[in-house]
Amino acid sequence: MPRLLNGQVLFALGLAAMNTIYAGQVAAMDRPFATGEPGPAFLPMILCGFVYIAAAWIVIAEFRAAPAVRSTRDASDTIPALHVIGPLVAIGLTALFIITFFYAGYAVAAALYTFLIALFFNYETTGAPVRSALIALATSVGVTLFGWLFFVKLFDLYLPVWGA
Amino acid sequence: MISEIAQGFAALAHPMTFLHLVGGFMLGLVFGAIPGLTATLAIALLLPFTFGMDVSDALVMVAGIYMAGIYAGSITGITLNIPGAPSGAITTIDGHALMKRGEGTQALGMSALASALGGLIGAVVLIALAQPVSAIALMFQTPDKFSLVLLAVVTVTIVASGPLIKAMMAMALGLMISTVGIDPMVPVGRFDFGSYHLIEGIGLLPAVIGLFAVCEMIAQSAAPSSLQKAEAVAKVVRPRRRDFLPTRAHIREVGLIATVKSALIGVVIGMLPGGGASMASFIAYAEAKRSARAPEKFGNGSYEGLAASESANNAMCGGAVIPLLTMGIPGDAVTAIIFGVLLIHGLVPGPALLSDNLVVIAPMFAALFVASIFVFLSVLAFGPVYLRLSQINRGVLYGFIAMISMVGVYASSFSFFQMWMALAIGAVAFLLRSFGYPVVPALMGVILGPYFEEFLRRSLIVSEGDPTIFLRSPASVVLLALTALFIWLLRVRPALRAAKS
Repeated sequence: MPRLLNGQVLFALGLAAMNTIYAGQVAAMDRPFATGEPGPAFLPMILCGFVYIAAAWIVIAEFRAAPAVRSTRDASDTIPALHVIGPLVAIGLTALFIITFFYAGYAVAAALYTFLIALFFNYETTGAPVRSALIALATSVGVTLFGWLFFVKLFDLYLPVWGA
Repeated sequence: MISEIAQGFAALAHPMTFLHLVGGFMLGLVFGAIPGLTATLAIALLLPFTFGMDVSDALVMVAGIYMAGIYAGSITGITLNIPGAPSGAITTIDGHALMKRGEGTQALGMSALASALGGLIGAVVLIALAQPVSAIALMFQTPDKFSLVLLAVVTVTIVASGPLIKAMMAMALGLMISTVGIDPMVPVGRFDFGSYHLIEGIGLLPAVIGLFAVCEMIAQSAAPSSLQKAEAVAKVVRPRRRDFLPTRAHIREVGLIATVKSALIGVVIGMLPGGGASMASFIAYAEAKRSARAPEKFGNGSYEGLAASESANNAMCGGAVIPLLTMGIPGDAVTAIIFGVLLIHGLVPGPALLSDNLVVIAPMFAALFVASIFVFLSVLAFGPVYLRLSQINRGVLYGFIAMISMVGVYASSFSFFQMWMALAIGAVAFLLRSFGYPVVPALMGVILGPYFEEFLRRSLIVSEGDPTIFLRSPASVVLLALTALFIWLLRVRPALRAAKS
């Protein structure tokens, strides 16, 4: 990646972009002290200005810094590019869990979610798909049952067990 | 006051309350001992369950987790040279050196004894100081309160790991999250983008679960397991229980006065916003080395060094609770989440909390005291098991954490939207961590944001926009001077020294 577009710079620019969305809402509010009081826009306006300055500071510091020596990442023995694949899998499975929980309820969603999460971590550790699946299955049953006992039976919290 | 505290101890005699303490203590031991998991995460996961609990039971359980979690950080530090929590990092230096010398059981025993003494001293100081400090805090006016919150915001930011600008950015992001929803003073919605979900604001629970549990699970999914295998090089032994009792010679080597001094350092640092267990153990260790008869032993397996850091980090627990309960200022991530537990049950941390609700809070004081004793007993009961704690299957562990955290968000809010928020905050927190931005200032920003904004705006309304209102009250001036002093001591002076050298 060219030096001007390293990860730090892109992330700082991403934060600045999110800040712009926030700033758009601040602009729609009454100006601070327009009625003699600081008003709802007072602190957000200060924060907005600060985030732009901080993002610019980080970007300039990156430009001024000596080019970083590309460090070798610790690789997984079983899953290539784990530093990218792992977070995508974890976020994707969690999103899938929320959707399944909405449509199918706790029992199906929790069983599926814990099975897939446990399968991923076990496969990454051992590289043995069948053994990983068996451990994941046991984990899934145990954790789902534990969650139901704890949330519903012990603490009397409501969960849509078979669908919302 | 004494009768309420006595009632707090008596409450622990109730079987259910006692079970909550034991359950919290065990949870804290497991989470504290496993590298990557912390007491903070354990309390964050507990947060949804507290909805269904009696508030005293919830606080007792949190106290058990807190005390055990801080202590247990040293277990895998000593046995495997991998501190289970940041608080165990300094202990690891001498603890693992002792382990390599074949004195691992004695190191674990001394660590438990020092932690227990430190915890007891911290709990006693908490019981003694909580009400007097509350009485002083009751006299604070709005500008004083703003200066106090500013002190917390600034110190938490400047002590955070990594570049200061990134810590400041993280704090600003946390404050921004806190501004979403109904304005605290005027009944108008802010940053809701027309969504009725956002007008309620972003709940504390999704923020805590996202910043700690979801973020940790995502971070672990990116970490190869081979890394952990390679680090676990120390030999795991199976000793007898009595081997964990520290010998008289080792107790004499450490000395009671040195342990008490380290504990008092821990209490004071715990009381400072942003202090935390790591800083407490580091400063107590440095002071113990400075005043030691044999400083050359430090770093090569010194019981004195080990005891100093462990005594300080557990004493910090009692100290850290003082500003939370008396002034409503959480000093670190754990007390920030305890803040959430109190809010969930309708108790607002601050000067009036102890005068109105001491009977409800007193079992927590007693629990910190009793949990300190448990710390020492635990090494005798579970010493051999401690040596195998770090070998728990990662799939089971993260399957459990993932499910509990996400279902916990739903069970406490009945909102799928808040689940999405927890995931989004977790993903952003993972990116922040990956790019070197500390997440604790963000959490503090979320929690302190409403107070920061309200006290700032109220003060400026009273003064008609004149910022010198913060310099008119002696308490506010002292707090602002303290803020400036901390900036000087913790950031400016070290930077100047580094530039000179």
